[in-house]
Amino acid sequence: MKKTVRTFLTTTLVILSATISAYAQSQNLIVISNSKGAPAELNRSELMAVMKGEKQRWNDGTRISVALMKASTAAGEATSKKVYGMSGDEVNKYWLALVFQGKVKAPVFFNSASELETYISQTPGAIGVVEESPDVKSKPVMVDGKKTL
Amino acid sequence: MKKKISKKACGKLSFLLALQFAWIAGICQDTQIRGFAEVLAGYASTTKKVSFGLGEQDLFITSELTDRFSFLGESVFKYSAPSPTLFDISIERIVVKYNIKGNHNILVGKHHTPINYWNDTYHHGRVFFPTIYRPDLFGDHFIPLHTTGISIEGHDLGKLKLGYDLMVGNGIGSGETADNDQAKSVTAAIHIKPVDHLRIGVSYYTDKISKGAKDAHASMIVPVDIAQQLFTGSVAYFGKRFEFLAEATAAMDHSDSTATQQSIAGYVYAGVRFKKFIPYGRFDYSEVPDQELFFHPDTKTSIVGGIRYEINYLTVIKLEYGHTEDDAGISDRVTAQIAIGF
Repeated sequence: MKKTVRTFLTTTLVILSATISAYAQSQNLIVISNSKGAPAELNRSELMAVMKGEKQRWNDGTRISVALMKASTAAGEATSKKVYGMSGDEVNKYWLALVFQGKVKAPVFFNSASELETYISQTPGAIGVVEESPDVKSKPVMVDGKKTL
Repeated sequence: MKKKISKKACGKLSFLLALQFAWIAGICQDTQIRGFAEVLAGYASTTKKVSFGLGEQDLFITSELTDRFSFLGESVFKYSAPSPTLFDISIERIVVKYNIKGNHNILVGKHHTPINYWNDTYHHGRVFFPTIYRPDLFGDHFIPLHTTGISIEGHDLGKLKLGYDLMVGNGIGSGETADNDQAKSVTAAIHIKPVDHLRIGVSYYTDKISKGAKDAHASMIVPVDIAQQLFTGSVAYFGKRFEFLAEATAAMDHSDSTATQQSIAGYVYAGVRFKKFIPYGRFDYSEVPDQELFFHPDTKTSIVGGIRYEINYLTVIKLEYGHTEDDAGISDRVTAQIAIGF
């Protein structure tokens, strides 16, 4: 009986983890920003420089604030993979190391897209990545001429 | 006369403290407190026993003060036998940063001297260390770990992602609040990151170590003035599969009585990642001539081999063997460490 339960739980966990991973891979992500600071269009290398804390200010002088979904969310996992080419854990480590070195301002992490969108709308210079959804009202920043990542 | 605090008063105090904490948290939205700690267990051939031990507890605070000003503070709590409480607190960093323009900043306060990769990147963040212990270059105080002063820095400039640091500080032998002489230390460093995960850097440090200052091990008094120059080079690559870090410092200490004495210290680290396991090795070498007055004259070789298991980015376990040979003899140690971030 114990063996059956263990097998069932293990199988469920494997399926669940594979589903989340597949879901994360298939997510369409969009980049959104505050109306002040970020341009309407970025190329991929400019986006990477911003998202990796390599750029402190936009060209108009507004300070950049990076907003990300927590790595524990499906959108956060998708952002880690598609934007950073890392796992969620690696992205967390990357930022913690930079903040500890005193090099950059820490990004702000959110549990939901609506919280992230609200933060961005209220913070000049803010930029973030969310799942594409009808609930997201902000105008996306085009990346390499495309709306989604 | 001792007064006992009643349960009621204790409750009120707790409530007031909670209220104050909530208020502070409310007004300091851009202030973050993070930290690192470690617990160790190991066998050393010098003591011939197995011991458990507390490492350091490192707390660092970052705060965004204005659009241009920010603050970083770092304090370390560690065991210290001479202390009445058996623990010491040291202020490792107090840095106020002002963003001049783009990626260019001015920093004032007590800094990690930006002399090489390890000192700039890890310092007390033991969860980031690729090995349990710092290289001998640090343990033997071959480089000045901290400098109190002012610096200008820039990072990720241009296609090569150039970074630079120019720092003027109190220098070796000084206290935290005043310089011990009129001379100032100067550090100049540049690095580039031509491809992802790779950083190559060089630095130059110069200072006048005044007669009466303590030597590198803080065990002797320097008998004469010494003009010190340090030349450092480092290459760091931490990719998804391979890790490599090599750093070396050449020191030239000049005094009227001993002329110029040349010392060298360096290490090479390499590791290979297999998912969350990283077997690694490090080789350290240092050579200090007998006439040297600031560093401890010695020729030292160390080999370290171990395995690191990264449970997640905040929890890392390491098991490591170390073998050291120097003028004092041969020593071996086996150490296990749990390093955490919080």
